[in-house]
Amino acid sequence: MNILSATAITASALEAEKMRVDITSQNIANAHTTQGLDGKPYQRRVVAFESVLNQEMGQNMQGVRISEIKRDESPGEVINNPEHPHADEDGNVLMPNVNIAYEMVDMVTASRSYEANLAVVRNARQMANQALSIGR
Amino acid sequence: MELVASLFASDNYTAVKKMMDVSAMRHAAIASNLANVSTPGYKRVDLSKSFEDELKARINSRDAEAISAAVPRTELDTLTPSTRADGNNVQIDHELLKMSSNTMNFDALTNFASGSLKQLKMAITGRQQ
Repeated sequence: MNILSATAITASALEAEKMRVDITSQNIANAHTTQGLDGKPYQRRVVAFESVLNQEMGQNMQGVRISEIKRDESPGEVINNPEHPHADEDGNVLMPNVNIAYEMVDMVTASRSYEANLAVVRNARQMANQALSIGR
Repeated sequence: MELVASLFASDNYTAVKKMMDVSAMRHAAIASNLANVSTPGYKRVDLSKSFEDELKARINSRDAEAISAAVPRTELDTLTPSTRADGNNVQIDHELLKMSSNTMNFDALTNFASGSLKQLKMAITGRQQ
């Protein structure tokens, strides 16, 4: 019987998906940050997932973890706004490369995956309860 | 004593126990698939088809020892084509459906196991009014 131990796999996924939402919120929050800590416009962060073999759960069972949080190096939009404090001498401002639409899609995908994993836990609990009530 | 021992060693009871193990393993496989729904290149895990056929044959043979000797195993499903650019072949709706039916299947099995134990209890204590 390894119903409840399968939740270790689900827990790793919940953690990874939560991290993805955190990164998305960071990207959205910095959608207009023209000067980050390094003095350059904010670069959006992208998470990469990788699976982790979890042999104690059984053969082929794989958890998941965030392998790396990369910076998206693509250049952002340049807008002309001489009023902006970070504008260069021509009045151009380099904006962050955050695209709100991409971030929203990413956020919805992450929260749906999170829900699916919560459903796994709910079912595991139901199965464990059923097993405990055998003979009653 | 003979009655009790024969109930626990019966092919039906053994088969139910084994199928509950299989159900638990299928749940773990589904958990793994849903955990990796966003992992590029991940291939879904499922119970090995050859194992399912083997278990079916052993249950049909009604040999309790052969049934309890079966060890459930999993395999990577590389046959389901991927509809995504990253090579991942997990479909979230399929997995959720499989999970619901697996949970219901498990419920049915536990009810069966409960039923045999309740029968035994009734045989021991007599019908309570």
